[in-house]
Amino acid sequence: MNIRLRIVTVVTLFAIGTVAVVLWAPTVGSTSISLAKAFDRSIPWEENVDAQIFFVARLPRVLSGALVGATLAAAGVVLQAMLRNPLATPFTLGVSAGGALGAMLAIAFGLEVGMMGVSSIPIASFAGSLVAIGIVYWLASSQKRGLSTNVLLLAGVTLNSFFSALILFVQYLSDFTESFRTIRWLMGDLDVGSYSPLIAALPFVVAAFAVFAILPRTLNVLTLGDDVAAARGVEVVRTQRLAFLSASLATGAAVSLGGPIGFIGIIVPHLVRLMVGSDHRIVLPAAALFGAAFTVLCDLGARTIMAPLELPVGIITALIGGPFFLWLLVKKS
Amino acid sequence: MTPTQTTKESKSKNTKHSNLLWLASFVSFVIVFASFVVAFQPRAQRIISLVPALTEMLYAVGAGPQVVAVSSYDEYPPEVTALPRVGALIDPDTERIIALKPDLVITYGSQVDLQAQMKRAAIPSFDYRHGGLSHILVTMKELGVRTGHVAEADQAVAAIESRLAAVRANVAGKRRPRTLLVFSREPRTLRNIYVSGGRGFLHEMLVIAGGENVFSDIDKESVQVSTETILARAPEVILELRPKEIPAGQPMRDELASWSRLASVPAVRNKQLLFISGHAVTVPGPRVADSVARMAKALHP
Amino acid sequence: MLSAEDVSFRYAPDGPLVVNGVSVRLAAGALVGILGPNGSGKTTLLRLLSGTRRPSAGRVMLGDQPLDRLSRRDVARRIAVVPQETELAFEYSAIEIVLMGRHPHLGVFTVEGPEDIRIAREALAATGTTDLADRPFHELSGGEKQRVVIAAALAQSAALLLLDEPTASLDLGYQLEVSSLLLRLNQDHGVTMAISTHDLNLAASICRELILMRDGKVLASGPTDTVLTPENVRRLYDVEADVHLHSETGHMTVVPVRRVTR
Repeated sequence: MNIRLRIVTVVTLFAIGTVAVVLWAPTVGSTSISLAKAFDRSIPWEENVDAQIFFVARLPRVLSGALVGATLAAAGVVLQAMLRNPLATPFTLGVSAGGALGAMLAIAFGLEVGMMGVSSIPIASFAGSLVAIGIVYWLASSQKRGLSTNVLLLAGVTLNSFFSALILFVQYLSDFTESFRTIRWLMGDLDVGSYSPLIAALPFVVAAFAVFAILPRTLNVLTLGDDVAAARGVEVVRTQRLAFLSASLATGAAVSLGGPIGFIGIIVPHLVRLMVGSDHRIVLPAAALFGAAFTVLCDLGARTIMAPLELPVGIITALIGGPFFLWLLVKKS
Repeated sequence: MTPTQTTKESKSKNTKHSNLLWLASFVSFVIVFASFVVAFQPRAQRIISLVPALTEMLYAVGAGPQVVAVSSYDEYPPEVTALPRVGALIDPDTERIIALKPDLVITYGSQVDLQAQMKRAAIPSFDYRHGGLSHILVTMKELGVRTGHVAEADQAVAAIESRLAAVRANVAGKRRPRTLLVFSREPRTLRNIYVSGGRGFLHEMLVIAGGENVFSDIDKESVQVSTETILARAPEVILELRPKEIPAGQPMRDELASWSRLASVPAVRNKQLLFISGHAVTVPGPRVADSVARMAKALHP
Repeated sequence: MLSAEDVSFRYAPDGPLVVNGVSVRLAAGALVGILGPNGSGKTTLLRLLSGTRRPSAGRVMLGDQPLDRLSRRDVARRIAVVPQETELAFEYSAIEIVLMGRHPHLGVFTVEGPEDIRIAREALAATGTTDLADRPFHELSGGEKQRVVIAAALAQSAALLLLDEPTASLDLGYQLEVSSLLLRLNQDHGVTMAISTHDLNLAASICRELILMRDGKVLASGPTDTVLTPENVRRLYDVEADVHLHSETGHMTVVPVRRVTR
């Protein structure tokens, strides 16, 4: 029984699959392009439509999809472990509701807070997420014994309801076009058209993943329960803080980039656990990799199924998510 | 001719004549009756309009003085700023509407609750459904009838039609540039771009103005397009409709810069990024002729 | 080795004292039973002893150091806890659970090596659960689960074991198995143990010392045969009981006769 070997082998297999998907996805789409032309340096940039489609339209989109997918899946794993509940999602604790409210305020009131090549809506969304994280964290830490997962859950659910009500209110105040745009944002959109939003989200995602890297075995032990985990040497409160903050920050960044794309944070961890077991040292990286590939493939479907029209990617993930859960339910019973 | 044949022929001729006479009287009777009906159509004197486009039409056919209240989003003509507001599509203020004692309420076709309430209050309502360019003219005529301004309505419609015809004539024979007609996008980026498909009054305006819609094959009024699709369709002109004028200087440069990412699009390469601003361009009302003229001017300077 | 000096604890700032001025001494190699009815503060006392809660008053010493000065890892290397119940949110195999006991001995990025796996397998062997190693934990019976959890605590290689109601959910057969296992661990491997239980006979059968707790206070403590008297049983449980020395097993046995009112 060689644990290190198993971890390395499984994660490498997932990595190969994901890299293959990410390399393949930009080569297909609603328009057929010639890869040879796209990579032909001799054709001037302004005249090379194939290159533009590949490098301006598709590549940033695929990379965003991979980033959003990896982030939401990993955040889902971490939060499920921390809350000891396989039904938890990255959106359970109110982060995406904060992000949605921020985005809606920007859309409805035409806020101009764009900077460094990133437009207003992602920035407002991220700010909203940070506010939500702050509120939930403050509520949950006001207990004497550090972070209580029950209070965390309650605070998150409450915040979700409250922010959803505010979102409805903002929609009501908006005119028709703005209202439609806010609804559209909620369905997810990975067509970033440039690398700036991606680069802007990257530092937060990298920071979050750096924290994720030290959590896995601790998350395993945390499954046993707070007291037992503490007895096995886990600093429970510190771990919960790290897990909550890193997962929420990552979720906020992902939502600001592509909108609140649902189901990735719960389908992917489930599927991965079904495939590789529950050892978080494997589940966490495997889920990130699988989440990236899954999202890229969903977006590929979104941009090709009804070509030249596009489906919002959140609808594809929802269409897969619903039946997936039905199947899980049937399987369990 | 035998006597019997003559009688038969003259008899059939007589029958034919009397049939014709019956038909003529019947038709005249119908015409007279219809005119009575038309003439005695109650002319609305207190009109409330929830649809900004139709408010404009009312003023265009001379029924302005009869308008007592408008929607929250009405801006034109300037006279409406003084009028009371009664809500809009999702939040019509029924109480206020009834309190103002209107004899005609113009609603959106989808406002079924409001229509039911108007019916209960015995207030006639005019239900507007969105349509193409010709529908605008038909609606204006209908409003003319309902408000007792038939002649003015006909005149207004005729004026619009002749202006449209003039534009058509002007651009006839000229090459129609492949145009991307954008009516909405996220400010300063290229996300969430909505263009006109091959249907609806925006598309029709573009056609009259001498442009060819690159998305005419999509049978939808509103299409959200991706970066890839724009690059693939390579429009020669990008025509953006904006509710407000973009200030010159940095804001304008920012807007132009957003498109510059799509360097291979002919419109970008040849700097054919045109903006038409103002509330009027996206309102399917009497100012369409103006909008079409502006479009034509932009496409064929 | 492990001692609680006049510790008290309350869960809520204005709540009642669940543990009230309790002093306990666990000498190396001891096998102590903490007895008392539900709500007597046994579980809380164990939590204080293992360091997962800090006493509101008094202190707990591990060796010559106060427990709260040590990191969780340091404590976990010396004290292992067997909880009353284990509910897992995710599916792990038995050996994965046992390997979690190695956590305090591994660095952040260290993966369990051959030595750790050997220790885990030994722990499984000691609890007679070797053939359950690759079975999913939730598929095991109550007794099997409890033995695996004990194995996990053993894998921590701690000198001290604190067990909370280890036989509560087990049937008679498993009760015997587990109690003889614990006795063996203490006598053959020198593991110091404190077992909290409300099962008088279990305590009588293996514990050499008893601490009787009621309403957060220590009623009596000392060697089993001196402490386990009908008088003490009445004071503890409001029950009149017969306390005999059982001829075949050599243990004290307690047979409840009737309830008495205070």
